Amino acid sequence: MQVDMQTITDILHNYPAQQRYSLAMLQDMQRHFNYIPREGMEALAEYLDCPLSSLYAMATFYKALSLKPKGRHIIKLCDGTACHIRGSVNLVGGVERLLGIQAGETSADGQFSLELVNCLGSCALAPVMVVDDTYYGKVTMERLPEILGQYREEGQP
Amino acid sequence: MNITINGKTCTCEKGEFLLEVARRNGIPIPTLCHHPALAGQGSCRVCLVEVDEGRGPKIVVSCVYPIQRECTVETDSERVRRERGMVLALLRKRAPESRRIAGMCRLYGAPELPRLTPADTGKCILCGLCTRACTELSVGAISTVNRGVLKEIATPYHEPSTVCVGCGACANVCPTEAIPLTETAETRTIWGKTFQLVRCASCGRILGTREELELAAKRCGQEPETLCERCRKAATAQILADVYGD
Ligand code: SF4
Ligand code: FES
Ligand code: FES
Repeated sequence: MQVDMQTITDILHNYPAQQRYSLAMLQDMQRHFNYIPREGMEALAEYLDCPLSSLYAMATFYKALSLKPKGRHIIKLCDGTACHIRGSVNLVGGVERLLGIQAGETSADGQFSLELVNCLGSCALAPVMVVDDTYYGKVTMERLPEILGQYREEGQP
Repeated sequence: MNITINGKTCTCEKGEFLLEVARRNGIPIPTLCHHPALAGQGSCRVCLVEVDEGRGPKIVVSCVYPIQRECTVETDSERVRRERGMVLALLRKRAPESRRIAGMCRLYGAPELPRLTPADTGKCILCGLCTRACTELSVGAISTVNRGVLKEIATPYHEPSTVCVGCGACANVCPTEAIPLTETAETRTIWGKTFQLVRCASCGRILGTREELELAAKRCGQEPETLCERCRKAATAQILADVYGD
């Protein structure tokens, strides 16, 4: 996603220039760009007239915020107790092999980010995997290529 | 109001912090994260003491414990020493290179805790005094970054800060000397950035970094200082002597 200053300015100007809105503005940037670009952090510090360091503290504290570009699709693999017992570790290895990345990383083509989470609250469906907002339950190694395949861009392997 | 600390009667106001009252009465309580100019940090827990307000003794953190009613306080009882030793033992796992903490551990017979591997290699206990010093007294160049076991004190993006003025307030308040500050005859280096030092035009003592003096001057709407305090006073006295003297 291209980072353009106009979009950043628009996001910021949706809110009054007050520190208590900083998290909301960071979230909006995260949603729009799939990460918080450095330009966005600096523009926000200027808009709020606050130290960049306090925003950096916030952006590195919340797991939902990321300072590195994330993939177009976010894969959340559950490694909570129930899913763990039902073999989520194998799935992690499977996805890692299919995409050539480790948990916490983004694939080179920018398509996928892989995150491990602790219980998605759907233990009856364990092991659970969520891609963007779609839940997949009782996932098996065999189904992984098919599930991920749906999200691949046309013409990609 | 009167309270009793280690058997000694001490007068205090309601709401005063226990640590202040003890210190005023010459009763020592060890601290790490307490700094008079930045009170209320309350994160190291080394200053814990035992307080009995009539319902049996309990452990409280004296630097942030406001006195509400008459009570008896023990600052060095066996229980206090044991619990303080445990706090110190854990802090040593966090900051194994701090000589100050190692010394306090010896003093309180802190257990070794061999089952726990040190969380870190440095001296920082993450008390947060430095970030407060910088935010409240200077420019807010540093903050806590990340969380949990990865938490640390750093500049944004771990780069030399664009706003740091090299005042050294952070390094000065740090209880464990965890922030490296190095000086040569002309420069000071901190957080990966090197600053030019300015010396008193008259006696040559170090006044601070150029950026630090400019910031101070801007804040009070004056020209940056060129003399140290002593020479400035001497100069003023000279002027007064010239005007009023005979
Ligand atoms: S030296 Fe820099 S980081 Fe430290 S208190 Fe001064 S301005 Fe802040
Ligand atoms: S442990 Fe995976 S959904 Fe609960
Ligand atoms: S000195 Fe009281 S908690 Fe650190």
